[in-house]
Amino acid sequence: MNGPHQKKITGFWCEWSFWSLIWWTGTVALCALLLWDCLPWLRGDPRTAFRYTKLNEWPLEVIWWLLIPITLWLQQRLTMSDRRWAWTLALHGAIAVVVASLFVVLGAVRVVFANHLPASFLPVVIDDLCGMNGWNYTPALVYLLLTFGFYGVAFYRESRDGQKLAGELRVANARLETRLVRASLDALKMQLHPHFLFNTLNSITGLIRGQRTAEAENMIAGLGELLRRSLEHRQEAMEPLEHEISFLRRYFEIESIRFQDRLMVEFDLAPDCMNALVPSLILQPLAENAMKHGISKDPAARLLRISAQRDGAKLILAVYNDGPPLPKDDAILHHGIGVQNTIARLEMLYSGGDARLWLRDHPPCGVRAEIILPFTTHDP
Amino acid sequence: MTSPCPNLGRTSLVVLLLAGLLALIFQGPRHGLPVVPRNSADQNILRVAWTQRTPPDPQMRGMTLAQHNLLILSLWEPLVECNPQTGEPEPAAALRWSWSEDRLILTIDLRRDARWSNGNPVTAADFARGWIRLLKGKKEGAEILAPLKNALAYQRGDLSDANSLGVQAVDAHTLRLTLEKPRSTFVMELADPLLSPVDVSSDAVLTNKSYLTIPASLVTNGPFRLVRASADGYTLARNEFYHGRTEVVLDGIQFVGATSLSVAQLMLAAGVVDLVTPTSWGKNRTSPTDRPFSIATEFQPTVHSVNFNVSRAPLADGRVRQALALALDRANPIKHYDAEDMRAAWSWVPEMPGRPGLTLLHEDAELGRRLLAEAGYPGGKGFPILRMAMPLERLPNPFIAVWTERWYQELGVRTYVAYEERKKRAERIKAGDYDILYNQLTATVPDAGDLLGIFSSHSNMNKTDWTDPVVENLLAEANSQTGQEHLALLEQVERRVMTELPSIPLMFDLRRTSLADEVHGWSPDPMMRQNLKRLHLVPGI
Repeated sequence: MNGPHQKKITGFWCEWSFWSLIWWTGTVALCALLLWDCLPWLRGDPRTAFRYTKLNEWPLEVIWWLLIPITLWLQQRLTMSDRRWAWTLALHGAIAVVVASLFVVLGAVRVVFANHLPASFLPVVIDDLCGMNGWNYTPALVYLLLTFGFYGVAFYRESRDGQKLAGELRVANARLETRLVRASLDALKMQLHPHFLFNTLNSITGLIRGQRTAEAENMIAGLGELLRRSLEHRQEAMEPLEHEISFLRRYFEIESIRFQDRLMVEFDLAPDCMNALVPSLILQPLAENAMKHGISKDPAARLLRISAQRDGAKLILAVYNDGPPLPKDDAILHHGIGVQNTIARLEMLYSGGDARLWLRDHPPCGVRAEIILPFTTHDP
Repeated sequence: MTSPCPNLGRTSLVVLLLAGLLALIFQGPRHGLPVVPRNSADQNILRVAWTQRTPPDPQMRGMTLAQHNLLILSLWEPLVECNPQTGEPEPAAALRWSWSEDRLILTIDLRRDARWSNGNPVTAADFARGWIRLLKGKKEGAEILAPLKNALAYQRGDLSDANSLGVQAVDAHTLRLTLEKPRSTFVMELADPLLSPVDVSSDAVLTNKSYLTIPASLVTNGPFRLVRASADGYTLARNEFYHGRTEVVLDGIQFVGATSLSVAQLMLAAGVVDLVTPTSWGKNRTSPTDRPFSIATEFQPTVHSVNFNVSRAPLADGRVRQALALALDRANPIKHYDAEDMRAAWSWVPEMPGRPGLTLLHEDAELGRRLLAEAGYPGGKGFPILRMAMPLERLPNPFIAVWTERWYQELGVRTYVAYEERKKRAERIKAGDYDILYNQLTATVPDAGDLLGIFSSHSNMNKTDWTDPVVENLLAEANSQTGQEHLALLEQVERRVMTELPSIPLMFDLRRTSLADEVHGWSPDPMMRQNLKRLHLVPGI
């Protein structure tokens, strides 16, 4: 964060120093010229008098050379961005009056000095000048114009800098959002592992207690394989359906050991769907739910069918089990981690309702979870 | 209590302090201010406000004649001076003068006791030198010597021999002047400060301005001499070699620099000066101090007029000119805009010393409409738009705006007033490409013939193309006469001109002079040639 700011301040000071140098040079030159012009009068040269020096003859408008930086300083000091803008405006109005008065007083001072009048005549001379020429509002108008001009420039600069900053922020936000999505996906994936791990480890424990060590070993080996593949694909949000099915086959191999002969898994996959891209591990939570809330709950239930079909631009994935119907309170839909995670992932990965998850009873028996996705492939 | 915005608080405080300070200045007292006491060394020194930047050169015409004349006539003395009451010439550096029978040669005897400020005698050659300097330098005002034989040819450069000029120093105290033709006012004209003598050293001193560092190097023959000069004014002391030194009461005069006439009046109120001429001080204005002063008002021989180009229709018709003159309203705009410095002109010549002004014109819009209808322009129908050439330096001129509007309201005559630069205007006048000219004419001698002379076909100031043999003859005859006969002939000229109206006189100038109550001896002089040697101060007032 320090880099760009440091660069900006340096640029500002460079610009400031440049104008400051010009102003000081001009001021020194102006003073030198006036002093050079006044020298004969100061030395008592009879050929001149204060009346004929540039100090007296030059128009008072020269004072703007000194007033412009003061005006700029005041403008920067009296910012209108806070809630005191009304007071600031009033103050600028007062300063404009002061500036106009200053011109009148300075003009009168010159007259008093050039004509050897006592200083007490200053108000009288002011009256005299205003009576002859009328009250000169020009300095006040010039001050206000300058001030609002400076405000305009400052506003333009702030606006330009703000736009630049907003652009940078948008890019940073987009990057951050991407990171957050990835992090969320990673977190969701990480939630899958313990869920599955608990179930599998419980099964392995059961096998070991039943002295079925060979099956336990196979189950541990399968679990290791599943975890390895899961880790391999951890950074990829999408993968071909073929990989997902391969992963599921391995998963069911483990679950079939747990459920022994009772579990019958069917795959009904259209060949043209195997290359379709799907979110990684999108089916595994649904399969796990089917096992948990379907097959496990009804001893007569044993069928679990995975299907994939293409419907135009849509890919329809389904997980069916012939277990009991959905509970009336939709607890699974609202509180099941697997379903909620799947819904969340679909919302993050597909905007505008392009992807949906349906979970419903499938008469005469069983429950069908269905995911509808846009059909996409790696192929151009 | 702490301010959530310290910047705003501190800045507000500074602004309020500044505003308070300025308000104190603005609300300061304007009346009853103290008067600067006069220095003990200046008790008998007259201090005159000096708004000019002209050098003390007698052969240079100052823009504000009154001030310049006061300075020049304090330092120099011409041959004669005109009596402010009668206008008659009286001896000054000259002792006496006499005309030849044909009134073409004027012989002047100079005072034997006239001395320069360095003690040397003033001679006839010094006058001839001054006049030749005026002609040679092609200086403004040199036309005053036009009546002299060969003067214009010498000024133009057609003649290079000064001996052929009509000014000759016969001896140290005798000056002989030869004229081209008789001119009754010539002796009066010799009172002009332009015709002062110059010492043999003066031309170099004035050219190099060495008087600024060595004031005594400027040798003068007037009642005062220069003792200090700067861009801020001059200080004069009594000239102890002046022939009339015993009559000069003042020890000296200071011309104190002032940036404007308005400020000069404040200087008088403050006690910094004693005399301001002319003053712009309004009658109703209150003085900031209690210093007493008075304002003296006098006529100036200046006439403001509109001159018609009578070579163009419809202004060639006298009835049209009469109609335009009758439709005017002089009094009200003067009263409204400048009642203290202007007076309505009812004839061509203002009041002059020894000659009151005449009332030859009147205003009658109804009669004007009838005359215009008789001329073929009833209600102004078919009347062309008149183009009036105005000098740019007179912008804006409220009087002209009022009068041209009145021509439109009363007669239906429209006028286009064109303000132009001097050069462009001069070219336009030379080419005769105008209908009306705004003009301002000032007499240089206290004689009506000076102002009426512009209606002579010989005058280079005749911008109307109007000539009248009767007027020509009357003017020529008036030039050969003096006294009442001279005045009677000029009155005939004026009546004739005001009947034909090639020009309409509009206003005469007034001049006002502010005088501190200490100043005594001031008398009106329409020629603005008051001689300060006649003034004196009464201390303690």
